Amino acid sequence: MKRIKAVALAFLIIILAIQFLQPARNKNGQAVSKDFSKVFTVPGNVQGILKKSCFDCHSNQTEYPWYTYIQPVGWWMDSHIRKGKEELNFSEFGSYSKRRQMSKLKSIGESIENETMPLPSYTLIHKKARLSNEEKDLILNWVKNTRNSLSLKP
Amino acid sequence: MKNIILSMATSILFLAACNNETKKTEATSGADSTSITAVDTTLKSQKESPIQNILSAYLQLKNALAKDNDKDAASSGKALETAFADFDKSALPGDKAKLYDDIAADAKEHAEHIGANVGNIKHQREHFETLSQDVYDLVNAFGAGQKLYVDHCPMYNENKGANWISESKEISNPYLGQSMPTCGTVREELN
Repeated sequence: MKRIKAVALAFLIIILAIQFLQPARNKNGQAVSKDFSKVFTVPGNVQGILKKSCFDCHSNQTEYPWYTYIQPVGWWMDSHIRKGKEELNFSEFGSYSKRRQMSKLKSIGESIENETMPLPSYTLIHKKARLSNEEKDLILNWVKNTRNSLSLKP
Repeated sequence: MKNIILSMATSILFLAACNNETKKTEATSGADSTSITAVDTTLKSQKESPIQNILSAYLQLKNALAKDNDKDAASSGKALETAFADFDKSALPGDKAKLYDDIAADAKEHAEHIGANVGNIKHQREHFETLSQDVYDLVNAFGAGQKLYVDHCPMYNENKGANWISESKEISNPYLGQSMPTCGTVREELN
């Protein structure tokens, strides 16, 4: 019992110590001229869903739930954000070439359709990021229409 | 006491979860050196096209997908990524170099995803579709140095259809693979 107590105490100290190692917050208040919404016409309801389910990891505007201030949850979140932004950053969408913008749009539709995004391991805890079937359909329809309208242009 | 142990267990789980993901990508990027050399030596015989290495890696990828082989597709994807990165554009005039950069930035990403998705051939094929458009534009800009065919599969992706580029006139469908190997038609011939 003594040993268990000692081990538990050591763990507790480690957990307490790592609370001081907070990753930098991914929040950028600047006006966003390269934002996704400046590249495409994004209706309010679509924008709302993207904000709720995608922007936390795929933009420069993460909304942090309280528990991300607790380590190691915050680190875990930080790694998701870094990987997410590398793959697709809605805040800097305008800096992609036209070709890549269309590629990304196609992939957005596919990953939502295949339910690989939002990441199941992420929505396990961040329940508010989950997409309902109606929300999925809304996004998919918008992606389809946007892709069609753009591919018709010469 | 119980609570403390429980909270520790959960936090360790979190750490374990994100560590796993990074390990996976590392593991897949380890085994790429063998396939690259193989690509370099094939298809060197005909008159040289500047995009020879890119093309042969693409065609290797296409043939792997036609055989439903996700592992070979991944190693070809990595070879293709390398071919794009190693491409020497120093001899190109400015506008062509710019066009190359535009196409390569997109295509490299698709190649990378194909390389990282062993076990998910559906996803590999999604990226292959866009990649095929990139390679098509590349061939139009730089020439192929060999005869190529643009093929079309009308059934892929719930009948939305998709194109690919092939070195042979016979259809060998990379989207539907062995379930419908000969589905598709030749749309265009490239020289």
